[in-house]
Amino acid sequence: MGGRTLRALAPLAAVAVVALLPLVVTDRFLLKVFTFAGINALVVVGLALLFGHAGQVSLGHAAFVGLGAYASAYCTVRLGWPWPVGFAVAGALAALGGLVLAMPSLRLKGHYLAMATLGFGELMALTFQEAEPVTGGVDGFGGIPFPSLGPLEVGDAAALYWLVWAVVGVAVLAAYNVTSLRPGRAMRALHGSVPGAQASGVDVVGVKVRTFVVSALLAGLAGALYAGVVGFISPSVFTLTASVTFLAMAVLGGTGSLAGPLLAAVLLTLVQYIDALIPGLPQEASQTIQSYREDIYGLAIVLVVIFAPRGIAGLWSRRGGRGEAA
Amino acid sequence: MDELLQFLIAGLKNGSIYALVALGFTIVFAATGAINFAQGEFFMLGGMLGVFFAGLGLPLPMAAVAAIAATAAIGAVFELLAVRPIKGGDPLRIIMVTIGGSVLLRQMALHLFGPDELPLDPFTEGPSLKLLGAAVERQTLWIWALTGLAVVALALLYRRTTFGRAMRATSIQRDAARLVGVNARAMVTASFALAAALGAVAGLAVAPLTQASFHVGAGMGVKGFAAAILGGLGSPVAAVGGGLLLGLLESLTAGYIDPLYKDAVALVVLLVVLFVRPQGLFGGSGRVKM
Amino acid sequence: MRGRTLKLSMAVLTAALAVSLAVSLAVMTAACGEEEAAEGGEPLKIGAIVSLTGTYAGLGEPEKNVIEMEVARINEDGGVNGRPVEVIIEDDATDEAKAVAAASKLIEQDGVVAIIGATGTGQTMAPRGDVQRAGIPQVSMAGGTVITSPVDPLVFATPWSNLIVVPFTLEHIKAQGITKIGLITDSGGFGKDGQAVIAAVAPEVGVEVVSDQTFNPGDTDMTAQLTKIKNSDAEAVVFWTAGAEAAIIVKNAVDLGIDLPLFGSHGIARREFIDGAGAAAEGVKFAAGKVLIPEAYGEGTEAYTVATDFIDRYTAAYGQAPSTFAGHAYDALYLVVEAARRIDGEITPEALRDEIEATSGWVGIGGTFTFSPDDHNGMTVGDLTMYEIAGSEWTLAE
Repeated sequence: MGGRTLRALAPLAAVAVVALLPLVVTDRFLLKVFTFAGINALVVVGLALLFGHAGQVSLGHAAFVGLGAYASAYCTVRLGWPWPVGFAVAGALAALGGLVLAMPSLRLKGHYLAMATLGFGELMALTFQEAEPVTGGVDGFGGIPFPSLGPLEVGDAAALYWLVWAVVGVAVLAAYNVTSLRPGRAMRALHGSVPGAQASGVDVVGVKVRTFVVSALLAGLAGALYAGVVGFISPSVFTLTASVTFLAMAVLGGTGSLAGPLLAAVLLTLVQYIDALIPGLPQEASQTIQSYREDIYGLAIVLVVIFAPRGIAGLWSRRGGRGEAA
Repeated sequence: MDELLQFLIAGLKNGSIYALVALGFTIVFAATGAINFAQGEFFMLGGMLGVFFAGLGLPLPMAAVAAIAATAAIGAVFELLAVRPIKGGDPLRIIMVTIGGSVLLRQMALHLFGPDELPLDPFTEGPSLKLLGAAVERQTLWIWALTGLAVVALALLYRRTTFGRAMRATSIQRDAARLVGVNARAMVTASFALAAALGAVAGLAVAPLTQASFHVGAGMGVKGFAAAILGGLGSPVAAVGGGLLLGLLESLTAGYIDPLYKDAVALVVLLVVLFVRPQGLFGGSGRVKM
Repeated sequence: MRGRTLKLSMAVLTAALAVSLAVSLAVMTAACGEEEAAEGGEPLKIGAIVSLTGTYAGLGEPEKNVIEMEVARINEDGGVNGRPVEVIIEDDATDEAKAVAAASKLIEQDGVVAIIGATGTGQTMAPRGDVQRAGIPQVSMAGGTVITSPVDPLVFATPWSNLIVVPFTLEHIKAQGITKIGLITDSGGFGKDGQAVIAAVAPEVGVEVVSDQTFNPGDTDMTAQLTKIKNSDAEAVVFWTAGAEAAIIVKNAVDLGIDLPLFGSHGIARREFIDGAGAAAEGVKFAAGKVLIPEAYGEGTEAYTVATDFIDRYTAAYGQAPSTFAGHAYDALYLVVEAARRIDGEITPEALRDEIEATSGWVGIGGTFTFSPDDHNGMTVGDLTMYEIAGSEWTLAE
């Protein structure tokens, strides 16, 4: 019956739900939680592209988030530049970092990029801590203003929510196009077999490098948003633990779809704020969940990799009777 | 002059620890073609379990043996539960599973033993020894002795036993090894147990100096991997060389440049070697050699 | 084919978001209901942000214990001007983003008039934006100098700051006839801050730093740095760190045969340091507040009574003596409550802030607090005493 229409309308409905949420939820705390979920989702969309479509994992994406956060903070606070310029610099700097890292390591075989990103992430974490004149060192970088677009300051909780999710929306749209069109096919071919992709005339290294740069760019933008939303950043945020969390979200989200990673990012973010979602939850219970939060992330990675390598996206596309035929 | 000697002693002390952890990386890499991200957690478990068994009242040597055996068993179980179910042994998925597993091992230690640092008695009490004006802690001698012992035992295992020959055969050609009757799967399990045992020896040996703590695994994993890459992932001898070299580089940087850059040394070494000479300093063609 | 899969995925996404929305709605309704129920008692609501999980869980747990124990006691004694006190405790999981969300919740959902916390310096600084916009006072239990220097009109802190501990320690060293020290500090926040304060204060006191060494948090070997100190003409070693590395420093120093006096910071006032360093800890001196050995306050003084009473009640309730962090939580809670008691009319955040700043000569656990517009830390060197580790116990030095 109307299944086809329903499917056609589904993305529109999803957009409507996300867009209208602040009209229904007026609690600033809940909006903040959903804003954080959006920031994580932005990073995870990039990681999902990298993992699902180029067959690579990164253990250093927190560093790109940090790079973007510090870049935008420095541009807006120290240099007094308008926020959109700082936002653009954040993305550009992270993308540049991604390029510098990806060029040499992607010429090597699979696992070297993972190790290079790990080393890069730890090195950046040290840099954030030691480059005190720029980053404020371990004491952190405070007093970061809200994002502003021209004369319009985005300071209200709902406005911040809309800004973050608008960026996520644009990123998803861009990623959707990347995956539906030619380069996307090339990227998926990589996941299948590199020689096969090469045989069909795909510039393997080029596609991988481009994907990595895009994912670093998205992480940098997420960092700029984080800095604007929270107003304070410090090296303890951009660590290996954060990188592993992002990876868990991307892995749980799975390959072959962008809705999966988005959903996983939102779900795993909410784990941390479970007390916000379930009113009246005893503090002991939410504290227990909090103590086992990283266990949940670790377990998610292990179980998904073993039993459902295509993540939650794979679960529903299988139920729908279609495999990854395309 | 005694300053330089003191720096060299410190470098070789830490380098020996890195060498043991690096050895663990090469053993698993040889058997699976993948990096075992949980290697640092085996180091952590060695120290924590050592404290645990000593706390039960076992004399120190018994507690040490129990900790090494328990860590090796955890390594084997880890392989059976998480790595073996991966069909086809895709290295990328093995890497991912060990990333998740390393988080679980660390959290397990946190839940069981708590967040505080836990002390372990030195293997022999007493003041440090003098060597040409430099001081050598007694525990440092233990670290060197245990590292030497582990390397010799590993060499004998590989060269003199049927089991070792089977491991080497598997690492060179999995399918061919299977044809001549080697149980390749068992060899992978054995490699994880062996790597875990080596990590545990390192963790135990260093615990009396630094105390044991649940969160030290990831940091040591990076150092150990940098050492393995520096030497060359393919060869145990190169890994030991890489470990000692990394320890010396760190110690001399701390002594003559600035201690702040000490941790950066391993990371820069890791990135530069990956980019410029991924087969490592001592690795020839990048092929797996034993 | 792929297009369809994606659209189908979107359908699932829609469903999931709809569920989140429904849950949020439920929360809203529930929250409204709670507010109405609370109308009758009119409790004075105070928020607390502590690290119950994550890296600082070991510090946050005793802080939470103290707050719960003391709130019960305050309410038994009739609360604040007839109103019961309700402290809403939030866990920041040693995570800055979580601390920000917790502050939003306390301000927006719970409508608190003051916030106690956080446990860590980063978690104290991160919610500054929200707290500032709401204009409510915040009393931190974290030790970073950055919290109260420069002074933020809304923010107070209860731990001893390096700004008083460093001068006290250096004066003590000078009094021993020592004028040349070797310094080793961590490159994290506490050590870096200590290093800067020592560099600034040492010339005033007449002590010279002849060797200035640093190490990274997590380092396992300090022999390189200590060898340099050994080869300098230092007459004492000062090590400024709150981490587990402190134990490694003193062990390395003993192993290198350095027989100079060792001086630590108040960051080593933890059992773990004595347990970790073992015999090497013998003879190590450090300055801290008097709570470790209440006799230091002077028996019969008000401070002695307050401290011993607190220690006895905490020990009875939780089976172990309170840590120094428990003392910081006690002070933070009572600074807010005592200020509220002094307010006659409506207790607004503005009035509360002004009264906290007007605190003068209030005797707490950490010391005697006197705030002013220029000083939001409130203690003096007189609140400190010098300890020496002997027989694996803290003893009063000299």
